[in-house]
Amino acid sequence: MAQIPNLDNAPLNFTSLREQTQKELINILKNIRGKKCLIIDPKLGGSLSSIIQTSLLKEHGVELRHLSADPIQTDCIKVVYLVRSQLDLMKYICSNVHNDVSKGLQREYYVYFVPRRTVACEKVLEDEKIHHLMTIGEYPLYIVPLDEDVLSFELDLAYKESQVDGDASSLWHIAKAIHKLEFSFGVIPNVRAKGKASVRVADILNHMQAEEPVNSQDMVVPEINTLILLDREVDMVTPMCSQLTYEGLLDEFLHVNNGSVELDASVMGVQQEGKKIKVPLNSSDKLFKEIRDLNFEVVVQILRQKATAMKQDYTEMTTTTQTVSELKDFVKKLNSLPEMTRHINLAQHLSTFTSKPTFLGQLDMEHTIVEAQSYDICFEYIEEMIHKQEPLVNVLRLLILFSITNSGLPKKHFDYLRRELLHSYGFEHMATLNNLEKAGLLKKQESKSNWLTVKRALQLVVDDTDTANPNDIAYVFSGYAPLSIRLVQHAVRSGWRPIEEILKLLPGPHSETKRGRFASSTSFDTLQGASANIDKVADGRRSLVLVVFIGGVTFAEISALRYLTAQEGMAYDLIVGTTKIVNGHTLAETFVEKLG
Amino acid sequence: MANVSVAAEWQLLGDRYYRKPELYRPMRWKHIDLSRNKVACAPFGGPIALIRDDSKIVQLYAESALRKLRIFNSAGDPIADTVWKNPGGRLIGLSWTEDQTLVCIVQDGTVYRYTIHAEPLKPNFSILGQEYLDENVVECVFWGNGVVCLTDTCKVFSIADFKSNDPTPVRLADPAPVGIEELPHCVAVIEPQYTMSGNVEVLLAIGEEVVMVEEDEVQPLPLPPGDGPLQKMVVSGNGRFVASFTHDGRMAVYSTRFEKIFEYHCEADENLRLIRSSLPEAVEACVDAAGHEFDVLRQRTLLRAASYGQAFCSNFQRDRIQEMCKTLRVLNAVRSPEIGIPFSIQQYKLLTPSVLIGRLINAHKHLLALRVSEYLGMNQEVVIMHWACSKITASLAIPDAALLEILLDKLKLCKGISYAGVAAHADKNGRRKLAAMLVEHEPRSSKQVPLLLSIGEEDTALMKATESGDTDLVYLVLFHISQKRQPLEFFGTIQARPLARDLFVTYARYYRHEFLKDFFLSTGQLQEVAFLLWKESWELGKNPMASKGSPLHGPRIKLIEKAQNLFSETKEHNFESKAAEEHAKLLRIQHELEVTTKQAIFVDSSISDTIRTCIVLGNHRAATRVKTEFKVSEKRWYWLKIFALATIRDWDALEKFSKEKRPPIGYRPFVEACIEADDKGEALKYIPKIADPRERAESYARIGMAKEAADAASQAKDGELLGRLKLTFAQNAAASSIFDTLRDRLSFQGAS
Repeated sequence: MAQIPNLDNAPLNFTSLREQTQKELINILKNIRGKKCLIIDPKLGGSLSSIIQTSLLKEHGVELRHLSADPIQTDCIKVVYLVRSQLDLMKYICSNVHNDVSKGLQREYYVYFVPRRTVACEKVLEDEKIHHLMTIGEYPLYIVPLDEDVLSFELDLAYKESQVDGDASSLWHIAKAIHKLEFSFGVIPNVRAKGKASVRVADILNHMQAEEPVNSQDMVVPEINTLILLDREVDMVTPMCSQLTYEGLLDEFLHVNNGSVELDASVMGVQQEGKKIKVPLNSSDKLFKEIRDLNFEVVVQILRQKATAMKQDYTEMTTTTQTVSELKDFVKKLNSLPEMTRHINLAQHLSTFTSKPTFLGQLDMEHTIVEAQSYDICFEYIEEMIHKQEPLVNVLRLLILFSITNSGLPKKHFDYLRRELLHSYGFEHMATLNNLEKAGLLKKQESKSNWLTVKRALQLVVDDTDTANPNDIAYVFSGYAPLSIRLVQHAVRSGWRPIEEILKLLPGPHSETKRGRFASSTSFDTLQGASANIDKVADGRRSLVLVVFIGGVTFAEISALRYLTAQEGMAYDLIVGTTKIVNGHTLAETFVEKLG
Repeated sequence: MANVSVAAEWQLLGDRYYRKPELYRPMRWKHIDLSRNKVACAPFGGPIALIRDDSKIVQLYAESALRKLRIFNSAGDPIADTVWKNPGGRLIGLSWTEDQTLVCIVQDGTVYRYTIHAEPLKPNFSILGQEYLDENVVECVFWGNGVVCLTDTCKVFSIADFKSNDPTPVRLADPAPVGIEELPHCVAVIEPQYTMSGNVEVLLAIGEEVVMVEEDEVQPLPLPPGDGPLQKMVVSGNGRFVASFTHDGRMAVYSTRFEKIFEYHCEADENLRLIRSSLPEAVEACVDAAGHEFDVLRQRTLLRAASYGQAFCSNFQRDRIQEMCKTLRVLNAVRSPEIGIPFSIQQYKLLTPSVLIGRLINAHKHLLALRVSEYLGMNQEVVIMHWACSKITASLAIPDAALLEILLDKLKLCKGISYAGVAAHADKNGRRKLAAMLVEHEPRSSKQVPLLLSIGEEDTALMKATESGDTDLVYLVLFHISQKRQPLEFFGTIQARPLARDLFVTYARYYRHEFLKDFFLSTGQLQEVAFLLWKESWELGKNPMASKGSPLHGPRIKLIEKAQNLFSETKEHNFESKAAEEHAKLLRIQHELEVTTKQAIFVDSSISDTIRTCIVLGNHRAATRVKTEFKVSEKRWYWLKIFALATIRDWDALEKFSKEKRPPIGYRPFVEACIEADDKGEALKYIPKIADPRERAESYARIGMAKEAADAASQAKDGELLGRLKLTFAQNAAASSIFDTLRDRLSFQGAS
C-alpha cells in the first residue's frame, strides 16, 4: 500500500519528473556529510510524502523533525532546514537558532528553500542577525505528480494570497512550473486563459520563454498541444457545492490529504483501540481507479454487485468440483479481495455521513441556490444556520455560494448576516469577513446578477441526469454541471470565440495565444475533431491538453475531466495541473482568520 | 623551403626524429639584439616580452637611457610597450603565466605583473615574507603559474600559483644548515604536478653536490662522483629527467632522483625514413603530416596526396581530410605574422579552440576571433561580449547614443547575449547613461533589475521587476529603495505600484508592524490602521501575562476603541466601526461576568456563546441583559435558549419557554433540540405543534414513528415524501438501505 502513486500509465513521462526531484533531494542530503537533523515544514513534508519514502531519507543519515517554534531536540551538529520560502516560517528558524545560541550550542545550519531562495526570506534572517550562520541552498520542487493525470504545484494558499493579499508570487511559481514542463515536453503551442491570474500566468510564461527559451530547434511535435488556464475566481460556485463522486465525498468528509485519508482503524475492520491508519487513494489501486470518478450511489451498487458475485463464486467453489484453471481464475479473483474490503469499509463509513438529514438538507439548499429561483428560502436557511451556530465553514460555503450567484447581497441583508455572524461566532471574524469581501466572495450587491444567464447559456443545470449511465458531466453533482468544466469543454472543442459573450459575464479577462513556431500559423486555429489527426503524436497516442486551475481544483471536477477524456470522439487526453486539490471546506478555511 | 629536401630537415635524437622548422623569417621586429635583453617567451605560440638587461653593460645607441618593457607577438610584431620605472632594484627574472600574465621579479622581491598590452596589474606584492624584507633575490626559476626564488643568504621562497586570489609566498627549508659561504651554482625546479608531495621541489647544485629542497626538508641527491659541480640544470618537460652541464663540459642526463641515464654526443643521422605501408595508412599519414606541417604549400601537397589516395581506399573516414582542412585554416590564420600565434597542432588540440579564442580576444583580434568561432560553429557570445567591453573602454570620445548604435549593431548578432554584462562594464567605465541605455535591451529581468539598481535607476528597476511577474525581484527592489529613501518618499513610490505595495504590506505584516502602520497612516488608509490596532488587541489577549479578567483588559479595550474611532472616519466602514464598538462593550460585560461569577470562561467568546453560557449557568438575568445590550433578535434568542436549556436537560424550563408566547421560529427547533439531546419523549411533546405537515412528517420519521409520519405525509398530499419515508422504514434494518435512501435524496430531480 504505497502512498507514492504508480505513474507508469501517465500520458506524459511523470516518472522521470519525479525521479529527478527525488535525485535532487538525495543529492542535497548526500552533499552534507554525516549525521544530520532534517527539519521540514509540515506542509512541505506532506507534499514530499507523495514523492519520496521517509525510509530513503533515513538511509542518508537523516533524523527527521517538523519545523516549529520549539527548540530543536537533536544531538546532531548539522541541522538542515527544508522549508518553503514562506515569510511566516522564518520566525521558527530564527527562534530555533536564537535558542541554540543562548544555550551556547554551536551547530552548522543549512537552509534549503523550496522551490528557490528569496530575498524576502533571507532579509528576515539577516535582520535577525543569523544569516551569516547559515549555508543557503535551493530545492527546486515546483511540481508534484499526484497521480497519472494530476500535477500539483502545492500552493495551498495561492488563492487567498493573490485574491486577498495581492501577493502574486504563486503566479510566477505556476508559470515557472509550466515552463519547466516545456523543457521536458516542448513548447505548448496553444494557450487559452480565462481570469485575471490566468492571463497573467500566460504573460509571465511568454516572458520566460523570451528570457530562457526552450530549444525549439528540434522539430519534435510538442507533447502538450494546448494549455488551458482557469482562475478559480471564474468559478467559485462549483467548489462550494458538495461533491457527490466517490473520491469527492471521501474528501468532503474524511479529508484526502496528499493522496490518502486517515481513519480510525476500526473503520477499516482493524480492531486496535484508538489507532489511526492511513489509507492511500490513487490509481495504483485498480478498484479505486475504476470507481473513484463515479457518483457515490453508483459506487455502492457496483460494490454490492461485486460482493454478490464473489459470494456466488465462492459457493460454487465449495459445492462443485473444479478444474485447475477454474481454481486459478478463482484465486486470481481472490487477489482483489483486499481492495474490495477496503472500499466496502470506506463506502460504509461514508454512508453514515451521507444519510444524515443535515447533509441532505444542505444538498437541497445548494441546489436551490444554484437554481437561483427562491431567494427568501435560501436567505432564511442561512440565517437559521447562523442562529444554530452550525460550523462556521459550512455557513461560509453556502453564504459564498449565495453571494456569488446573486452577485452580492442587498445591503440590508449583507449587513444583517454579517452582524449575526459576528454575534454568533465572535468578533475575530471581522477579519474573516474582510478577507472574503476583498476576495469578492461575500459582498454588497452592486449590479444585477448574471448567474441566470450564465447558467442557462452553459446549461449548468441538467435535468434527468442518469448517474449510472451519465451522458453529461453533470453526474458529478447529480444534476449540476460544473461551470469550470463546461468552459474547458468549450475551450477544447472550439476555443473561446463562440462563447465570448458568456466569458464577458464571468470575472476577469480572457486570452488566446499561439506560441513557438506555431505563432503565425492559422491551421491550428481550432481544435475540432477534423483537425485532430494533425495533433496526434506519431505513435498513435492522443495529444494532450493540460488544464491548469489557479486557486485549486476539486476531485469532482477532475472526475468530470476524466469523463470527458473517456468519451468517444474526444481528440485529446486531458491532464490536470492545480495549485492544490481543494474543496469548499479547505478553500473557505483559508479565509478564516485565526486570532484569539 | 619547399626546394630543400624535406627529409633533410629531420634529425634522429634517441629513438625519434625531430626537426626544427623556422616559423617566421625574418622576424618582424627591427634592431633587436636578444643578447642585450632579458627575454620571456610564452609557451604555446604566446607573446614575447623583452627588456634591456641591466645586469650587462651594453652600449646605448640612439635610445633613451630609460628602459622599456616591450611586448611582441611570436612573429615579432609589436603589441605594446611601457617605460620601466619600477623601484626595487635590478630585474631578476620575468616570465609568462599560463593565462598570459607577465610576471617580473626585482631584487627586493617585489612582483610586478602586466597584461599582454603592457598594462600593469595591481596590486604588487612581495615574494619575500614580511620578516625577510632585507634579503635580495638573486635568482628566480618559473614554471606554469609559479616561481621559486633564491636570496643572497641562500633562502628559498616559492609562490605556487599567481592566479589564486591571494598568492602568498612560502619559505622552503634552508638548503644548507650551516651558514654557507657560496651561493648555489644553479637552480632547477620540478613542477608540483610531477612530485609525490604535490608541492614544488627545488634542485640546487651546491659545491660538488646536488640537494633537493622541499617545504620542510632538504635531501642530498646521489650525484655520481666527478660530475659536480654542475653548471646548469634543466628539468625535462615531463618532469622525469634532468639535463645538466658538468664542470668539465659534458652534458649528462639524470633521472630526477639523479641516477645517470646516459651521456650523449650529438651525431647527425640523416637517413631517410622509409615508409612502406599499405595505402590507407599512407593516406592517414599524409593527413597527419599535413596537420603537423607549418608550411602552407607543403600542407597543400600532403592533403592533395591524401585526397588522391583516399579515392582508392574504401574504408577511409572521409571527413578526416575535411576536418583537417578546417583545423589548418584556423591554424594558418593565427600563425600569420600579423597575429603571430604559431600554434602546433598538438598545442591547439591540447589548449582547445575556446582557449585559442580567448587568446585572440585578449590580443584584441576580435574580428579573427569572431570568424574563427563562427567557422568552428562555436558560441560567439564570448567574442562579441569582449569586443563590446573593449570598445567601450577604448571609445571615451564617442557620445553615448552613437556608441550605443555601434554596440547594438554587433550585439544583436548573438542571441541571448548578456546586455546586462555589457551595461555593467559601461557603468564601471563611468558611462552610467550608456549603461542605462544598454540594460534596456536586456531581456532577462533577473539580470536587468539588479543592474538597474546598481546604476541608480530604481524606478525603472521597480517597473521592470513588476512587469516580469517575479516577486522576488520586486522584493529586491523594494528593500533596496527602502534603505535608500526616506520613509515618506518610499511610501509614495510604492503606493503608485499595487504589486510592490501589496508585497511590502505582506512582508511588513510579519516583520515590520510599526513601519506598516506609518505607511497606512501616511497614505490615508485609516481603516487598515484600525484593523492593525484591532489585531494588536488580540495579541494582547494572547499574551500569557494577561490572565483572563486581569486589568490588561483595559489596554485591550482602549486599542479596540482606537480602532473604532479610525473606522468611523470613513463612511464605508460604518459596519466595522459599529462592530468594534460592540466588541469593546462585549469585553467589558464579559469581564464583569467573570468577576461576578468568579469563572474565567467568558472573555473572548461570542455574544451567542455568552448568552448560552449564562443560561447554562442558570443566570437568566445576565442572559437577558446581554440580549438587550446587543439587541439580539427574538429568532436568535429562541434558538440559543432552546438549545441551552436542552443541553442542561431542563425540560420544565424548556416547556415553559415554549408556552411563553407563540415562538417566532415555530416548534421545530424544540424538536430538534430534544432529538439532539437524545430525548425522543421530550421531542414528541412538540411535534404535534409543528404547523407544516411535511415538517411534522419528517420529525416523526426522525424519532422512528412510521405511522404518524405517514399520516402527516399523506396530510401534506406529498406522494414523493411518502414514498421516500416508506422506503426509509422498509429497509431500515439493512445497512445497505442507507444507500437506497441516498439515491432518492441525492438526485436533484426528485427534490421539490
